[in-house]
Amino acid sequence: MAEPTPVQIFHTEEKRMQYRSSGFFLRVGLLVLFLVVPFLFPSFKTVDLAMQIIMFATLVASFDILLGYTGILSFGHGMFFGIGAYCVAFLIGKYGMPSYFNLALGFITAAVVASALALLISFLSLRVKAIFFAMITLAIAELAIVLATKLSGFSGGEDGISIFMPGIFAVSFTLGDLMGLEITGRVVTYYFILLFCLGLFLAMLRFTHSPLGRVLQAIRDNTQRAEALGYKTFLFQAISITFGCVVASIIGGLYAMWVAYVNPESCLGVLTIMLDVLLMVIIGGMGTLYGGIVGAAFLKISQTFLPDLQNLAKGLLPHAEFLHNILERWLLLFGILFILVVVFFPKGVIGSVRDYMAGRNRVLG
Amino acid sequence: MNDIILKVEGAHTFIGQHHILQGISFESKADAVTVLIGRNGAGKSTALRTVIGLLPSSEGRILFKGIEIQNKKPYQIARMGIGYVPENMGIFAELTVEENMRVAMLVEDGPAAQRLERTLDMFADLRKFWKAKAGNLSGGQKQMLAIARAIVNETSLLLIDEPSKGLAPILVDALIEAINQIKEHSVVVLVEQNFFMASTVGDYFYILDDGMVVHSGLMEELVRDEELKRRYLGISKAED
Amino acid sequence: MAETMFRRWGRELTIAGAIVLFLLPLIGIPGKTYLTLTIAGLAMGMLVFLVASGVSIIFGLMDVLNFAHGALFAWGAYVGFTVFKHLMNWVEADSVLQNLAVFFIAIVAAMLVVALLGIVLERVIVRRVYGFHLFQILITFGATIVLVELIRVFWGPNDEVMTVPLTFSRNWDIMDIVVYRYRVICIVIGLIVYGVIQLILKKTKLGMIVRAGVEDREMVQAMGHNIFLLFTGVFAVGAGLAALGGLAMSIFSLQVYPDMGGTYLLFAFIVVIIGGLGSVTGSLVGALIVGLAYNYVAYLVPWAAAGVNIMIMIIILLIRPTGLFPAGK
Repeated sequence: MAEPTPVQIFHTEEKRMQYRSSGFFLRVGLLVLFLVVPFLFPSFKTVDLAMQIIMFATLVASFDILLGYTGILSFGHGMFFGIGAYCVAFLIGKYGMPSYFNLALGFITAAVVASALALLISFLSLRVKAIFFAMITLAIAELAIVLATKLSGFSGGEDGISIFMPGIFAVSFTLGDLMGLEITGRVVTYYFILLFCLGLFLAMLRFTHSPLGRVLQAIRDNTQRAEALGYKTFLFQAISITFGCVVASIIGGLYAMWVAYVNPESCLGVLTIMLDVLLMVIIGGMGTLYGGIVGAAFLKISQTFLPDLQNLAKGLLPHAEFLHNILERWLLLFGILFILVVVFFPKGVIGSVRDYMAGRNRVLG
Repeated sequence: MNDIILKVEGAHTFIGQHHILQGISFESKADAVTVLIGRNGAGKSTALRTVIGLLPSSEGRILFKGIEIQNKKPYQIARMGIGYVPENMGIFAELTVEENMRVAMLVEDGPAAQRLERTLDMFADLRKFWKAKAGNLSGGQKQMLAIARAIVNETSLLLIDEPSKGLAPILVDALIEAINQIKEHSVVVLVEQNFFMASTVGDYFYILDDGMVVHSGLMEELVRDEELKRRYLGISKAED
Repeated sequence: MAETMFRRWGRELTIAGAIVLFLLPLIGIPGKTYLTLTIAGLAMGMLVFLVASGVSIIFGLMDVLNFAHGALFAWGAYVGFTVFKHLMNWVEADSVLQNLAVFFIAIVAAMLVVALLGIVLERVIVRRVYGFHLFQILITFGATIVLVELIRVFWGPNDEVMTVPLTFSRNWDIMDIVVYRYRVICIVIGLIVYGVIQLILKKTKLGMIVRAGVEDREMVQAMGHNIFLLFTGVFAVGAGLAALGGLAMSIFSLQVYPDMGGTYLLFAFIVVIIGGLGSVTGSLVGALIVGLAYNYVAYLVPWAAAGVNIMIMIIILLIRPTGLFPAGK
């Protein structure tokens, strides 16, 4: 029996320590928190907030696979999300009856369409400089919105599509009481989406920590050297981009399940979905999948309390018209916030924390 | 006249996370050519780039004619009278020879025009190809242009990085000739791997290894010291 | 194979291709309409050129990717709109002199205000992200949002109608062809700007330093030039040009609206891809191609108009990714 190599020893140690570190407990704690929200805070608003955080955290993580791990900025991620939402909406709404089969089919269709488009984008990203790629994805995303709005016969246009869930997800479904909470279709949907997102998140973690993920980071950091080492960089990047985009489309489908309504503005919109994702990934931290959780939580909570903040300001300073105007324009505030974060906290919360921890370890170790 | 024109004290330079210069110190005296020699990666080019300010030094001092320059920006340093000829020559290929020279000239008055004439006297080819695109010049001519640009202002210190690299031997002779002329009114700090070039033009030497100065002294002593040459420069008697 | 063929005969092929492109529509379009469309296309191209040239030079010299150029374009239009509003009697007067005067004032005001905006943008924001393309895109994207929202704050969120100075809105009747005056004015503006830029670049010392900087930023610094001042200056000029484009375009299309920068920025980027980064001539050629193609196709096959330029861009990307006139880099 051969002696374990230093690398193997390191890996086993790492795995062992993993379950003892404070980070691990934090994550488990968070998961538990999301699990009990419907029981502890059954109000619609709170459950909705929690659900949005969960979905967007996973969406942002999928975007981070492109941005932080593959080093590619695509403004089209919102579009993939929207495609997923629309695919599901089409299959159990506009073009089909609500049924488990159609629901599953919706997700599969979303994944297939997303893969095809993602491959197209990957090829494009090869040929052009970063800014042109960003611009082109933005143009394509806006084109998608225009198409969804104009081709109203096909897509339901601006009015969008309302959908009804099948079986246990239906609004009218009920399983009776459990510990004081009525298990309605909504509750079932909540846990379904939570578990699905958890699965996706774990899959993404596995992806980035796998050998494939490490090669990707090498490619991101120094493409030429990676190529010199023999890695077909394009292949890896294409896989990575496709993975991220497919996950985004699946989350879109989940979103459709939760909100039960899709329309171009709310699902495909650049300034709605894409800007939120960008803000979240910057605040949370690029290249750290967990950043999505922090960013999503921060942004969604702020958005929920923004009207209250505006009223507070109006109450405190009733005559500052200009200030009121500025606060009305929440997009302006988010834009300024965005710039400030990029300039002063480019690593985001998680990134800065990791830096701090690494710095501490270096001093101690 | 043994004024110390350039004095570098304990400079540390990082490129990213790499600690390239680990506390180097050297001086350059007036009317003399100081050569920095050493193998690849020893930090010679980095040293020059730190002096001209293209790389920030994290520690130590750099004094030019007694004034501290380690915190100045490259353009401020250049305007104090320091010329720089990088390893890749830094020729503006799309501009003509004339335009290259004009970009180099910080002022364009009477005395400046005279300096230009004198510089062109030294490098006749440049006059010949005055209106040609600099990118079309031969390797040797480009090197001449690079040096001409660096000395056309009132330069008291010239930093040249491996000028003989890739030049045919006959051009190296011309190069040596030019440097001998220049050293009459400027101080030259030369980085070289070519020992023949270094020993012919140089008056003082500093051997760099792993970002530190490991030996220094008069060039004529180095020429005679076989042990030193073999240890740090990989030159044995047979090659000389 | 296409790439090597292009490398040898690049210039010739381009010219041949351009001539073909230019004359092809004659097959489907009657002569007089063709001329009208051509003028419209050239005019539109010139306006896109104004924005594209700024983007091209800024990237060429500073290696900075400026997403916010579209917002600057919109600001130029709005400043011009305000000038017109306050001098409306001059705008509506039936006097070439007064019209030209108010137009001139609007141009100067728009360019100055936006150049100032550009300087603030460059010093406060862009300067911090030199060398990091990813952050530049992000930060200028954020700046775009802020700038556009500020338009909404200062001018309100609605679309506004832009009044055309009276004498500009007329036509000339040349040999039975209707030639819109304003389009010709746009073409003239574009040519003047191109001429001035080329003059400065080729004949002045400043221009030489800029061109040298496009090739080797570091070296220009080491030769004693304050490249940071140069950067700010170039950025301001680029911003000013975008403003001019925006003002001219708003008169062209008779409206101003907060998001107007978006579409034209896309066009400008397509132009820069086609023409090559860092080359003003490339921007001009690319812009004219874009303008003409758009107008011909819009007449022949209306729904394809928006797409045709993306198609051209994709073709260029496939056979010559660096653009028609790559400079320096």
